[in-house]
Amino acid sequence: MRSGRYFFLATRLLLGALLLAASVDKILHPEDFAKIVHNYMILPDSLVNIVAISLPWLEGLLGLLLVAGFWLPGAVVLANALLLIFFSALIFNMARGIDVHCGCFSTKITGSPQTSWYLVRDSLFLLLGFAAWLQVFRPRGGARHQALKI
Amino acid sequence: MRDTEGRGVFGLNTLTHIKSAHEPGRTKVGSAFLQGAAILVISLAISLCVNALRKDGLPLKGDWSPKAQLSGLQSAEEPVVTLDEARALFLTNGAVFIDARPAEVYLSGHIKGALNLPSQEFEEHFSEVMAPVPPDSLIITYCDGESCTLSKDLAMELSARGYGHTRVLVNGWSVWLDSNLPSETGGK
Repeated sequence: MRSGRYFFLATRLLLGALLLAASVDKILHPEDFAKIVHNYMILPDSLVNIVAISLPWLEGLLGLLLVAGFWLPGAVVLANALLLIFFSALIFNMARGIDVHCGCFSTKITGSPQTSWYLVRDSLFLLLGFAAWLQVFRPRGGARHQALKI
Repeated sequence: MRDTEGRGVFGLNTLTHIKSAHEPGRTKVGSAFLQGAAILVISLAISLCVNALRKDGLPLKGDWSPKAQLSGLQSAEEPVVTLDEARALFLTNGAVFIDARPAEVYLSGHIKGALNLPSQEFEEHFSEVMAPVPPDSLIITYCDGESCTLSKDLAMELSARGYGHTRVLVNGWSVWLDSNLPSETGGK
């Protein structure tokens, strides 16, 4: 079952790298990211800045933990929660006809938002998150558990 | 690398380690809860410290009112135009109205005579749409919804291109319709 082990390792590393990559531009440009958060029109104005300040660092920390294989149960749960929230926000805005730049990897808002592409991409990220979840939480027997330790 | 339960970190998993031979599923949930809480606290602490130290840090509670969002607008007039002012300017042909929403939304209904320059496609359409509009014209941009930022973004872009008399009618399309002012569908 080595191939399965490497597959799960790869998905976790990829998810961690994605979260790290997603955090960089937002950390560098907090004002632009705050504007994107505001454009989603989901949060009350009083929460926009605090989310724009803290969310990129949460993404970055989760990315680091996933890549390092450290605190995996907590990191995987939070990463999946974030991915679900992002996906739900896109669906919610699509349903009410609001076309926004997702601000997922860049804080630039030039060009038309490509909501359908964002949804496809976020669906793939959800699958990655689910694979990482399986790696951490699936029931394993004693010997098998030892063999699958990474 | 650590194992998937991240044993030994701040003692969070000592309990997990003891119980794991009997209840691996339940203890991982417990670990996830504790670690998740710790991750949230740590990331929040880091983000607040960095935000407090950096020059371009944000206030924890921002002012997202239309007026505050237009504070950077270089306009000779008050950036936000009231509906009464907009109505008077419309009736006297005193301003050029520009719809900042996407083309398909504009075509389904807009202020009568308004041009369409979607703020998200500003670069592509600026030259074509603004060619007949002299830079000293009074311009009123609008979109739809109290929180809609398209009209503000468009006003900022136009201001940066030398249109120094640009104003915004906040929630323009809705308030215009509510007042039964002239509108039309389709393109110009």
